[in-house]
Amino acid sequence: MYAIAIHGGAGAVPRATLSPQREQRYRAGLEAALDAGYGVLERGGSSLDAVTEAVRMLEDEPMFNAGRGAALTREGAAELDAAIMDGRNLRAGAVASVRHVRNPVELARRVMEKSRHVLLVGPGAEEFALEEGMALIANHYFRTPERQMQLECEQRGERVSDLVPPTEASEPPGGTVGAVACDAQGHLAAATSTGGMTNKRPGRVGDSPIIGAGTYAKDGVCAVSATGHGEYFIRAVAAHHVCAAVEYRGLTLAQAIAELLHEVLKSLGGDGGLIAVDRGGHIVMDFSTEGMYRGARDSSGRRELAIY
Amino acid sequence: MSRPPAHSLRALLLAASALLGCAPLEAAEHPVVIVIHGGAGVIERAHMTPEREASFRTGLGAALDAGYAVLERGGSALDAVGTAVRTMEDDPQFNAGKGAVLNHDGICELDAAIMDGTAGRAGAVAELHHVKNPIDLARLVMEKSPHVMLAGQGAEEFALAQGVVLVPESYCITPERMRELEEEKRSADAREPTAPLPMRPSAPKGMGTVGAVALDAQGHLAAATSTGGLTNKLYGRIGDTPIIGAGTYADESCAVSGTGQGEFYIRQVVAYDICAMMQYQHVSLSRAVDTMIHGKLKRTGGEGGVIALDRDGNIAMDFNSAGMHRGVRDSRGRREIAMYRDTN
Repeated sequence: MYAIAIHGGAGAVPRATLSPQREQRYRAGLEAALDAGYGVLERGGSSLDAVTEAVRMLEDEPMFNAGRGAALTREGAAELDAAIMDGRNLRAGAVASVRHVRNPVELARRVMEKSRHVLLVGPGAEEFALEEGMALIANHYFRTPERQMQLECEQRGERVSDLVPPTEASEPPGGTVGAVACDAQGHLAAATSTGGMTNKRPGRVGDSPIIGAGTYAKDGVCAVSATGHGEYFIRAVAAHHVCAAVEYRGLTLAQAIAELLHEVLKSLGGDGGLIAVDRGGHIVMDFSTEGMYRGARDSSGRRELAIY
Repeated sequence: MSRPPAHSLRALLLAASALLGCAPLEAAEHPVVIVIHGGAGVIERAHMTPEREASFRTGLGAALDAGYAVLERGGSALDAVGTAVRTMEDDPQFNAGKGAVLNHDGICELDAAIMDGTAGRAGAVAELHHVKNPIDLARLVMEKSPHVMLAGQGAEEFALAQGVVLVPESYCITPERMRELEEEKRSADAREPTAPLPMRPSAPKGMGTVGAVALDAQGHLAAATSTGGLTNKLYGRIGDTPIIGAGTYADESCAVSGTGQGEFYIRQVVAYDICAMMQYQHVSLSRAVDTMIHGKLKRTGGEGGVIALDRDGNIAMDFNSAGMHRGVRDSRGRREIAMYRDTN
């Protein structure tokens, strides 16, 4: 069986403030990414290509907090983090604090495939992008009026978070994006991309580009992509925690994720959500927040999109 | 750095009980212990001179004793690992702080992380150019910011906001490291420009990372690691040291600090995985470390070592490289410093 799951962030998604039109747009954005990623698997493509494709599309979708439409730092700039991991051989690539790369997940993949490193940050990561022949774009490309408004809101209220924030605006913006997949060969992959916290301090790195925290994949065990309050996910080594619980304790994926979210992270005080797939192609999507933008599709006919 | 009041209070109580004739350290069920490493990149024995070996031993001994003194006074594991690592950052022989290896552009880029096993709190910094003691800044990130990891200019901006005095880039540059960079650049030019994997970075020059793990009288564990990374590394490259779970990790039952080829440590989530194997598979600390260093890591081609400590005071110092600068001291009278496979 092959399968893919995606997320577009967890957080406060009060039904009352999400207009039907807005909800429709979210669903359409998730659906397009889900089907594009699934299409790769259906054509016999790798899980690595499937998660890259799904995340790239979510990065291009301005409603989510990644690529275009990413949350802004306290200086009003977009600073993007992304990671990708190939479960076949535990190879991984990640980038942090990049400001001029249209699709950070593609740069993360280049880091994995074309450099001898795993994590590159800031101007050094962009130098590598140029060496790889990728075109850089102005930071302005990422900025949307909604994020500008959100930043102003946060700066008045002094609150910073990676979670989709409760907001009085009628257009609550989405969160971090990610994808996990299991292909027909049983290989697993995970990818995550984010703009991080609104109003964050420049240079802050969250869990998304941290292998083991926001992103992890290991064949025969599971692939995980997380979204939530990044600092807690780093401290809990969240994504690897789930894989270790499955591999070493024989927990099911659902049990491992429930324990992480509702016991480990809860005791630290952190909220968020995870999507994961195991070697059998079983998908688990769980969260400790009001909602998580998410979708799942597999070769047994499962196809779902959900927010609450 | 000022200590939290709870620690001062504890120190005071311990001092008072010592005056009354109690012996709090001996009374504890577990010993107080500190273990340090000065990197897995030791000089091949054939090329080691007695003078250099003595100098490394002196440097390791100074850091070990400084960290142990904190524990002996009833101080916290967190303070002990911070002190030991700071001492090695200030010693130009090690690849951290002053004397860190130089990147492709000829400057130091420093990374560090610290983790408090009891509270599960952590702080990390990466890509620093102007901070004398990165480990102190990592602790400030943990204690004074809502974040875990800060990188680059943003991290230095935070340092200034905390009143940390920045130093010029030249502070950490030593003639020895400049020579190493020249050599590495020459040999890199001679290498095939393509074929990125498998990587064999310039070991041992990039493996002099420093770290410490400690267990205090209260039974709390902590871990800290600091590094300049790889000689001739790509600008912006971050290794395992500041990645919580990869090069540095501590929880209530286990503390680990790693040194080696960072990319492999990140991919295997080495530090956390050792603790997970120990807790979930109910194997001993040394067995878990052995599985990681000589099994998982070696299979993927990763070279290096780790130091690890559990809450009962059991230690492991193991490596699959030629050697590892290391030391251990505890309240049962053990004090060892070693560099090669045998115990000296």
